[in-house]
Amino acid sequence: MTAFRALLRRELWSFAISPFSWVLIGFWMLLNGLFFSILLRSADVQSNLGMLPTYLFGSGGLLAFLLLPVIPPLLTLRLFAEEHRLGTLEPLLTAPISDAAVVLAKYVAACLFFLVFWLGVLALFVLLQFYDAPLDWPRILSAFSGALLASALFLAVGLWTSSWGGNLILAAAGGAGVNYMLLFLPAMFSGGTGRTAAVARAMNIPQMLEVGFAAGLIDSYAVLYFPLLALLFLYLTWMRLVSRRWVP
Amino acid sequence: MIETTCLSKRYGALLALDEVSLRVEAGEILGFLGPNGAGKSTTLRILSGFMPPTSGSASIDGLDLLRESLKARQRIGYLPENFVAPQEMRVVEYLRFRGRLKGLSRRAARQRVTEIGERLGLGERMRQTFGALSKGFRQRVGLADALLADPPALLLDEPFGGLDPLQRQEFRDFLRDLAKVGKAVLFSSHVLPEVEEIADRVAILHQGRLQVDGTIEELGKRAHEEAPVQFRTEGDPVVLEQLLAQDLLPEEASSLKREGPFLTVLPASAERRQFLFRWLAAQEQEISEYRTLAPTLDDLFRSSTA
Repeated sequence: MTAFRALLRRELWSFAISPFSWVLIGFWMLLNGLFFSILLRSADVQSNLGMLPTYLFGSGGLLAFLLLPVIPPLLTLRLFAEEHRLGTLEPLLTAPISDAAVVLAKYVAACLFFLVFWLGVLALFVLLQFYDAPLDWPRILSAFSGALLASALFLAVGLWTSSWGGNLILAAAGGAGVNYMLLFLPAMFSGGTGRTAAVARAMNIPQMLEVGFAAGLIDSYAVLYFPLLALLFLYLTWMRLVSRRWVP
Repeated sequence: MIETTCLSKRYGALLALDEVSLRVEAGEILGFLGPNGAGKSTTLRILSGFMPPTSGSASIDGLDLLRESLKARQRIGYLPENFVAPQEMRVVEYLRFRGRLKGLSRRAARQRVTEIGERLGLGERMRQTFGALSKGFRQRVGLADALLADPPALLLDEPFGGLDPLQRQEFRDFLRDLAKVGKAVLFSSHVLPEVEEIADRVAILHQGRLQVDGTIEELGKRAHEEAPVQFRTEGDPVVLEQLLAQDLLPEEASSLKREGPFLTVLPASAERRQFLFRWLAAQEQEISEYRTLAPTLDDLFRSSTA
């Protein structure tokens, strides 16, 4: 546990002092801020402020779809790929810490840091509250939870692609590619009938975010779907480390 | 303490290690020699738990590196070749983090980092970032890292690389002190005099195979026993050569060489060496010089890796 906490602290510290992390946060906040101000001027939102969570945290806005699959792999690429490239992975993996603890510490650090991204968006709602806007907070928080769960999944994917090796471009592009597939492939096949369509519907992330979380409905299936899928990618990451150590 | 048994490692078609068996006892320093690509770093990486062997086994303090990797790694201090720490981290922060990673409490990590930093002369460098350090100080940080948890086994890959002569001397003294307190030290090096000076035993690896393994004394004795004998006669060397050839064993006779007034021969055994000495003494010719052409460790290294 001491080793886990030490690694978690170091990873959080590394995120906090990395200029790249702050460039990402700045980019994220700039785009979300612009999007927020445009939305506030739109007639749809002015007539119904309840649409805001759907746009900012769910699939209602194109922005979340464009940014969300890309930013997590850009954030996680340093966790293994950059360590591999710089040569700092060898001291880490020869230290007396289990591979599972290494994966978990890095993942939890990435999740905690990514929380800052979403808290920035949530702050926009808090700002709006100061102007006495009639906001539906349970719905906002529900949409916020959905965004966090989806982000946790995309971060797990990013961590997995980061463990592929020392190629940063491959880590980032691979992570974004897998995330886009998770986001759009099920949606593409979910129309119609048959087993494929049923499976695709069960994996339809935009549907879960829009109809579920952003609408204020927290579905237990969706609450389990994201962590379980994230767990699968964490397992794949762990396998990657384990195979490096065990497979001749 | 540190042991490998028939350790082999294959990278595709390349056999990097071929059944290497080594043993380093507590309190012993083993110098691991070999040219580039001989398999030294591969052996150390396997022993550090970073990569698995293709076959064979490696253990630290009786703990198998594959089956009990975590426990074995708790007993290792490992300095990789080209040690690197995060560039932006201050040395003191990095070492405290490593101490915590190795299971030390916060207080113990702080205390140990201070002790080791002082012992290794890191001084003001402790406040600098790793990226701002010279190669020599980076090596010291790497060694400090390896020593933090006071492990019984130390694996040091080219620890003298990038050090100036003064730093090397300090490093050598430090390694000797570590062995005195019971640490098993396995270090690889290209610097033969350093190995000769501090190692209790030497292992020479070439093309993945262990060519030589023994204590400095054993190697010296073996080198002496297997060395040719050269002598100079004041009389006619041609006559002496003819006489000597009659009394030598066939394999010795084939090694007999004459160079000016010098005759050189390789005795077949220690007894034959004594026989040769007696034979020369019994001759009625004045022998003005007699010497054993014992190879140095450098010669041994060259002949083993030729």
